[in-house]
Amino acid sequence: MYAFAMTEITPGPAPSGPPTDDPTALLLAVARERDKAALAALFSTFAPRIKSMMLKLGAGDALAEDLAQETLLQVWRKAHLYSPQRGAASTWIFTIARNLRIDQLRRQTNKPYEDLETLELASDAPLGNVLIERNQVIERVTAALKLLPREQSEVVRLSFINDMPQSEIAALVGIPLGTVKSRLRLAYERLRPLLEDLQ
Amino acid sequence: MINHHPDITTLMAFSAGTLDEAYSTVIATHLAMSEAGRETVRQIDAIGGALLTDEPEAAMSDSALDRLLGALDDEQIDVGRPERAPNALPLPLQSYVPGGLDAVRWKWTGPGVATADLPTRPGQKSRLMLLRVGGGRRVPEHGHGGQELTLILQGAYRDRFGVFATGDIADHDEDVEHQPIAEPGPDCICLVAVDAKLTFRGRLMRALQPLFGI
Repeated sequence: MYAFAMTEITPGPAPSGPPTDDPTALLLAVARERDKAALAALFSTFAPRIKSMMLKLGAGDALAEDLAQETLLQVWRKAHLYSPQRGAASTWIFTIARNLRIDQLRRQTNKPYEDLETLELASDAPLGNVLIERNQVIERVTAALKLLPREQSEVVRLSFINDMPQSEIAALVGIPLGTVKSRLRLAYERLRPLLEDLQ
Repeated sequence: MINHHPDITTLMAFSAGTLDEAYSTVIATHLAMSEAGRETVRQIDAIGGALLTDEPEAAMSDSALDRLLGALDDEQIDVGRPERAPNALPLPLQSYVPGGLDAVRWKWTGPGVATADLPTRPGQKSRLMLLRVGGGRRVPEHGHGGQELTLILQGAYRDRFGVFATGDIADHDEDVEHQPIAEPGPDCICLVAVDAKLTFRGRLMRALQPLFGI
């Protein structure tokens, strides 16, 4: 069901393009220089993808677009808080979109993710420059996700992109909750060596 | 030193953002106490980042970029690093226990055992509560009606899985039965998230009934 989308991620043959195409470099330009052109470039890459993710929640076109817009506005507002040592730009933007999705759908009064972000900022440890590695990790994880058995990638996507609790995935796919968990666990074990390269 | 960590599928659900309020609060509180746990979640977050870059594109309306750029000048820049609240509890828990543990109003649940419900948004499928077990006291053996997350905030307890001390988390599914016994010394205080269908307190009361004739 996702096969068509997978063929059109990176235009051109080079796996890592010039610096201006690099999401992390763009995000740092927003952070350091308030570079609107860099934000526009991030918009063109991420807004349509965030909108696609939001549409999978059952959000209407207008709401999905608003949430994509708001994500990019938060990127502008929070860029100076981004630290490449903690993850690739795409990962950071995913977490912003995820937090907006939670606020929109669950209207929780607590803010557990923001609380943890605050803690992280308060305990800034100096780390080496791992900018390139972070982006390479994302490319490798993206490639590895495509190599997962379909039954594993299905539960991973339903969880992270479609925002489905594991119990709902079990009901949708028609498998016990324990099987959802074991498929997620297997997927994680496959991805783990790549994810641990983050360090 | 934290020895007991959440199940990886629980951390994946936290990273995906699909946990109920009670469960996500327990995990966030645990992560506030565990740098290793935060690093694991940072790694898992990259799955979301990779999937996002792999999403198909849903066309934005023609004016969307102009509207975004037009809005930027009015945007306030977030000031980071808000001051810590004057409360010794981990940050994700502070709004639930505003006066700290000393101000909690405990309900007697059994000999040496007390609980306090923490308010969550209505309509949740899970419940959040504090559990206090006196040093050397035991919680009656109990099963679980669903996933149960228990985070140790103070003191320690022991069961057949080992000793659980401050920062440790017990992540049990419905198949697990256990009988925690608080270690001698100060009260063991835990933050617990349970499936709302079968409340922990209700199950505790039932379990206590034949033992103590409550």
